[in-house]
Amino acid sequence: MLGDRLTAFIFSMALALLLLVLELVRRRLLAERYSLLWLAMALAVLLLAASRPLVDRLAALVGISYPPSALFVAGFGAVLVLMLYLSAVITKLSRQNRIAAQRIGLLDSRLRELEHPRTQQP
Amino acid sequence: MSILPPNQRLLVIVPAFNEEASLARVIAELRAALPGVRVVVINDGSHDATPQVAHDAGAQVINLPYNLGIGAAMQTGFILADEEGFDFAVQVDGDGQHDAREIGRLLQPLIAGTADVVVGSRYLEGPGYVSSTMRRTGIRILAACITVLTGQRCTDATSGFRAANRRAIKLCAMYYPPDYPEPESLVVFRKLGIRAREVPVSMRARTGGKSSITAARSGYYMLKVLLAIGVMMLRRAPRLREV
Repeated sequence: MLGDRLTAFIFSMALALLLLVLELVRRRLLAERYSLLWLAMALAVLLLAASRPLVDRLAALVGISYPPSALFVAGFGAVLVLMLYLSAVITKLSRQNRIAAQRIGLLDSRLRELEHPRTQQP
Repeated sequence: MSILPPNQRLLVIVPAFNEEASLARVIAELRAALPGVRVVVINDGSHDATPQVAHDAGAQVINLPYNLGIGAAMQTGFILADEEGFDFAVQVDGDGQHDAREIGRLLQPLIAGTADVVVGSRYLEGPGYVSSTMRRTGIRILAACITVLTGQRCTDATSGFRAANRRAIKLCAMYYPPDYPEPESLVVFRKLGIRAREVPVSMRARTGGKSSITAARSGYYMLKVLLAIGVMMLRRAPRLREV
């Protein structure tokens, strides 16, 4: 069983995370699309912290004898998913970045060739 | 160049990362061997005088704003070749390993229409520069994997001395493996029905500068390439719409 103090602590941490994410989105420091996963995480933790029977049932479901561990397992899993997602985002960004850099190189070269034409240009 | 059919144009692509020591000679040899042929140096974010050296030697220079890796650099050259309608493109490394006078041997199968990509192999026949045992073993292992996967004989999987025809240029402009492209691209070619074959060439020790693949990185190189090739086999075909 979770102690009342621990429950309150986890609950307030999750609430703080939720508010922080919302504030970052409000200030446009975090795009809405990336905030969704974080909000979902914060809400899930809030829900678990608020409802002890839920934690117990979750723990029993996956065979964890000490219910609070279920919280950590769930949190760890969520963090893993989030990181994997971010790696995929980085992959996409670097591809777009590569394409832009290649285009810059090609355009820059063409511009220089136009400004200083060379004689031999088959 | 005499061996080119009339009205057919060849682009020589030289990827270069910090190759100021060897580049002038490489370009001079290219221009001597292939008078009138356009040489473009893809300066992959070098920190040294590579772009000036290349320009002074008479090459067109494409400066990438930062280091993208050899695959992305080569792809830039293929995009140029594709957009300007070149019939053939040849890759010659900037370190002086490749002999410009052998480009004709690479082009022959393309001109004859018996291949779409030709790879110069240093292991098909005897002489020339022999690299370290470690590196040779690594190349052998990769070559064996690629031979098994593609069903085509491959002896020199990492050779960057290659020629491509119009069809292969178009494909490489659309998709080219980013980091260490040589072995991986052979598998891509096979999947897309691009006919690749090897011809024997001799290679020299690099005339200056350093290889981007140090001893410490070789292990990582092997792993990454094997992973890339393995994953490649699981795909239906590379996603061509990504560019």
